[in-house]
Amino acid sequence: MKQPTPSFLKATLAIASKDLAAEFRSRELLSAMLVFSMLVILIFNFALELDVKVRQSVTAGVLWTTFAFAGTLGLNRSMAVEKDRGCMDGLLLAPVDRAAIFFGKAISNLTFMLVVEAIVIPLYALLYNETRIFQLEFLGVLLLGSIGYISVGTLLSTMTVQTRTRDVLLPILLFPVAVPVLLASVKASGGIITGAEFAEILTPLNLLIVYDVIFLAVSYMVFDAVVEE
Amino acid sequence: MQTPDTSSYMILGYALTFIVMGIYVFSMYIRNRNLKRDLETFESMEKSDKK
Amino acid sequence: MQARPVFLKILDYLSIIVLGVSTYLALVFAPTEAVMGDVQRVFYFHIGTAWVGLMGFVIAAVSGIIYLVTKDMKWDRFEVAAVEVSTVFFFITIALGSIWARPAWNTWWTWDPRLTTAAVTELIYIAYFMLRAGLEDPEKRARFGAVYTLLGGISAPITFMVIRLFRTIHPVVIGSQSAEAQGGFSMTSDMKVAFFFALFAFTIIFIDMIWHRIRLGNLQDNVEQLKLKVTM
Repeated sequence: MKQPTPSFLKATLAIASKDLAAEFRSRELLSAMLVFSMLVILIFNFALELDVKVRQSVTAGVLWTTFAFAGTLGLNRSMAVEKDRGCMDGLLLAPVDRAAIFFGKAISNLTFMLVVEAIVIPLYALLYNETRIFQLEFLGVLLLGSIGYISVGTLLSTMTVQTRTRDVLLPILLFPVAVPVLLASVKASGGIITGAEFAEILTPLNLLIVYDVIFLAVSYMVFDAVVEE
Repeated sequence: MQTPDTSSYMILGYALTFIVMGIYVFSMYIRNRNLKRDLETFESMEKSDKK
Repeated sequence: MQARPVFLKILDYLSIIVLGVSTYLALVFAPTEAVMGDVQRVFYFHIGTAWVGLMGFVIAAVSGIIYLVTKDMKWDRFEVAAVEVSTVFFFITIALGSIWARPAWNTWWTWDPRLTTAAVTELIYIAYFMLRAGLEDPEKRARFGAVYTLLGGISAPITFMVIRLFRTIHPVVIGSQSAEAQGGFSMTSDMKVAFFFALFAFTIIFIDMIWHRIRLGNLQDNVEQLKLKVTM
């Protein structure tokens, strides 16, 4: 008897919605990421003395550093849960394309990150009276950067949860590889905040898109190799 | 223009190169020796198992 | 473990000889550079080690791909050997660059694209070893290692392109840097001899070291297998 195999899209969405449903019930991951983000911004506030002049140049950097740290927290947790409850084995046994698991996890991780960003950005704007971050271009860069960061992060966190040193390994593996996406995002969003010429923003924006495309494709292709048992 | 005397930096550079390469080769030698010792131990264990 | 093959023995002696000759060419034969003085002589080894270091990272990424396709452990051992030897050489490259920068740029370090990319690349490959250290299953170690070298190999060039947007290098740095990097213009023919011989010498030494490291990997494999057999 042939089992009906769910379509790729359906499987992806099923995995993503399972994660989201679980998270919106417990909210442990999102609350941790949010509180952590606020703490990072608080520390930056004193460490960099974020007065009007300094903020001009470092807002993009502060926000991206915060999201990168909060992102690793979320990625680690989201995969560790999968591993510890044995869900990963269940997922692997399911008659779905392995790549669907990758995209499902990536979508839910991306959603978590975007939710955190959606809350932290208005808070930052409120705290520092910085309304220039509510620009469509800025939010677009945020989305592109998050996609790149999460696609590599999902792949790497799938690897790190299987190691002995998993609690410390993810940022160590992720940050050096994600340097281009973080720097291009900071450059592009910083340019938008300070109202730079579009031509100046275009190059980092292009690199960001290139990074996203390449790393989504590569993660998709090699994901099979990191979940095989 | 007079050529500055920067030979101390040159000596530092070359000394460092040789030291680092030396350490690496030495570490390979040590690892190799330890592995050979392990191999001998396991081989003798295997032999005594068969008896 | 079989004895060293004859060819490897020859390569060992050859490595020592070319290292000696290259050192001689760099330290004695090549003329002293007029503006920077003797410190310019570290440039030969700087380029030599950088060349094999970068080549090794590319080789590692390629053998990682081949491993993922063939699942043959010998490609994993090749990959580890390439990464390990390259990490050592690349460390030397960075250190020599830094030593050269001190009198030439008046600073040990500056965040220019090349230096920053070099530092990030070195960190990627140090992370690679931490990843491998956290895994016990050799097969899994090989798979994850291959994936990570692939990611590192792709991300390093993009890092370079991105960082170029950030730092317009200090003019003085640009001048001496590009003259140094592109070589040709300021190099006399004697300097060129030392330069190309250094490239050649480090290629030989690199091959020799990788070969030894692969043999070490094979030995490690034998020990692990025997250990399993005995303790089972």
